[in-house]
Amino acid sequence: MPPVEQGQIKARIKELIDTKGVVIFSKSYCPYCKKVKELFAELNVTYEVLELDLIENGSNYQDVLVEMTGQKTVPNVFVNKTHIGGCDKTMQAYKDGLLHQLLGVESTTYDYDLIVIGGGSGGLACSKEAAALGKKAMVLDYVVPTPLGTSWGLGGTCVNVGCIPKKLMHQTALLRSSLEDARKFGWEFSEAVNHNWETMKSAVNNYIGSLNWGYRVSLRDKNVNYVNAYGEFVEPHKIKATNKRGKEMFYTAAKFILATGERPRYLGIPGDKEYCITSDDLFYLPYCPGKTLVIGASYVALECGGFLAGLGLDVTIMVRSILLRGFDQDMANRAGDHMETHGVKFLRQYVPVKVEQLEAGTPGRLKVTAKSTETDEIIEGEYNTVLIAVGRDACTGNIGLDKVGVMVNPNTGKIPVNDEEQTNIPHIYAIGDILEGKWELTPVAIQAGKLLARRLFGGSTVKCDYVNVPTTVFTPLEYGSCGLSEEKAIERYGEENLEIFHSLFWPLEYTIPNRDNNRCYAKIICNKLDDNRVIGFHYLGPNAGEVTQGFGVAMKCGVTKEQLDSTIGIHPTCAEIFTTMAVTKRSGGDIKQAGC
Amino acid sequence: MAARLLVRRIWTASAKNFRLLPAASAASSSSSSHVSSLNTSTHTRSFLSPSCVLPLSSHRCISFNVQDHDDFTERVINSDLPVLVDFHAQWCGPCKILGPRLEKAIAKQKGRVAMAKVDIDEHTDLAIEYGVTAVPTVIAMRKGDVIDQFVGVKDEDQLDSFVNKLIGQ
Repeated sequence: MPPVEQGQIKARIKELIDTKGVVIFSKSYCPYCKKVKELFAELNVTYEVLELDLIENGSNYQDVLVEMTGQKTVPNVFVNKTHIGGCDKTMQAYKDGLLHQLLGVESTTYDYDLIVIGGGSGGLACSKEAAALGKKAMVLDYVVPTPLGTSWGLGGTCVNVGCIPKKLMHQTALLRSSLEDARKFGWEFSEAVNHNWETMKSAVNNYIGSLNWGYRVSLRDKNVNYVNAYGEFVEPHKIKATNKRGKEMFYTAAKFILATGERPRYLGIPGDKEYCITSDDLFYLPYCPGKTLVIGASYVALECGGFLAGLGLDVTIMVRSILLRGFDQDMANRAGDHMETHGVKFLRQYVPVKVEQLEAGTPGRLKVTAKSTETDEIIEGEYNTVLIAVGRDACTGNIGLDKVGVMVNPNTGKIPVNDEEQTNIPHIYAIGDILEGKWELTPVAIQAGKLLARRLFGGSTVKCDYVNVPTTVFTPLEYGSCGLSEEKAIERYGEENLEIFHSLFWPLEYTIPNRDNNRCYAKIICNKLDDNRVIGFHYLGPNAGEVTQGFGVAMKCGVTKEQLDSTIGIHPTCAEIFTTMAVTKRSGGDIKQAGC
Repeated sequence: MAARLLVRRIWTASAKNFRLLPAASAASSSSSSHVSSLNTSTHTRSFLSPSCVLPLSSHRCISFNVQDHDDFTERVINSDLPVLVDFHAQWCGPCKILGPRLEKAIAKQKGRVAMAKVDIDEHTDLAIEYGVTAVPTVIAMRKGDVIDQFVGVKDEDQLDSFVNKLIGQ
């Protein structure tokens, strides 16, 4: 190539770079080039493109570009005189805001760096972290009242209608069994022991009220702008916020995080929304629910049914097929059996068809008609309260996601994201219960939200680890787990490659009252192909959350069966069982416990 | 709960209507009728508000629930009297202990100081504006300025001296 010509081409390239905002050196058939062009088109940015396969001396251009940038491939992208690079580099620059900075749109165009839709655990954690990193953040939170009119404050499901009231009411029930035990330990008190629903409800609601306020104050302290309004997209970077008086405001942001959570699903049968309650209503019910039918076998169903029975109420749980779908079925059935021996009635293989009101009141009387899932049998029953707990639906249907093209699973309403919680629309992210295939747990949402904010605004690369997440179901006998269920472990590794150790145990505290012998159960699933590493941890017994948390740490560290065996137990406790497990499920050996 | 909220809403709405009517007529009337219409309004207020238990001989109500931001401006910031503002919440146990003690301390002053009660869940913006982080928070205001404040429960003697300090005794 004559040097003159090369010099001319170099000058031509320089001129382009200096005079045009965006220059893409491309080849007409290259899919990566196409992707980059589409990106700029989507951003409404005009660009200059040179198709090197179509112009004269195209390969000479490419040689000069190598000399100038060290990059041999196309696309080769320049934005405002700055060399960006190829497709991946351009996408990365778009994601981390460099592109906007170079295009000079970011700071001037949008009201906020980040708007979070949803003031639950995940949304609050994320917005506070973003604000702490110096970004201008806003949270929109709005509670749509239940069909019966129940509503609550800031903080999302966990605080208002989930973990917090649930565990406090579970504790109320546990106290009753402690009262019964107490007599065996020598405590003497008059026979009549009554429970006052109103007292419990007010105490729980008051505590929640203080938490709502605490969240509000912490948003102010962290300089997060809080708006009590319903948010929905109207444009890719613009949302409409409607407050309870119907006043509409519009806000724009560079990035958005969807954290709208889920709400209880109804049955779609006559009388469900008119006469039935869900967990959203239960924790604020102004009167004792009385004889209750719980419909569903979700953990919400078992927990609510469990504590209501623990308060001394007549409780029936109607189950379509299995208990605690997705959880270890051996454990789920043991938890269910325990409930059954403690007075909870189960109607198995039935689905409700209608609910009628016999009498209004607090509580009133309702008639429930149900049909068998296996035969034509129809049954009827009369209850004071019917609680529906058949699952929860993601609140993604009415927030304008269709307007901005965010992909939603049409069957579940859940949002698929990549491993950085990014939706198919690059500037819109999602966290918490609305994510497809992820845990629906408050601490997971908090962790994901914080880490996301740090990646978006703090230069971090740490992603949320969704593996080995410990959790606990607060059934009357609590069930804690971490890692894989037995079913999942077998599916993944094959039964022959697993060693499952298990044992029944009798908490010392239960011995004097002589209750629940051989009910509590411990199980660990070890992977023989990997040093007998513990891949599943299961515990049915008192204080399951407290027990499981520590073993969750151990599993994060990759604990093996040998390491558990070499750990000294704390005597006398329930958790020590995991340091002495010797009987494998395969062996069929005796797992009843006797003595120290 | 829904019923309770509804009752409160109706009550608030009617209280506002009653209060606004005489004030509107006062704007276009002479100074003598201004006084009489003011009296009507405060009288209406004490009739409606369950907390207005201490009407004085002048029919002025010195303890009242703040209705909204404008009401706060009118009756607290623009008040001629020094005002104690009691930021409280329904879910707050200590507030229920402090409230009656404050009423008592105010009553002892025989009209030299007023008390405004602000429910922080209903008037969150006011509470946020005045930097309330925990309840009960009591701030002492004179001519629109915050001159003193405390958080938590105090005994009667402490409240008396707090109030005395506010009115400059």
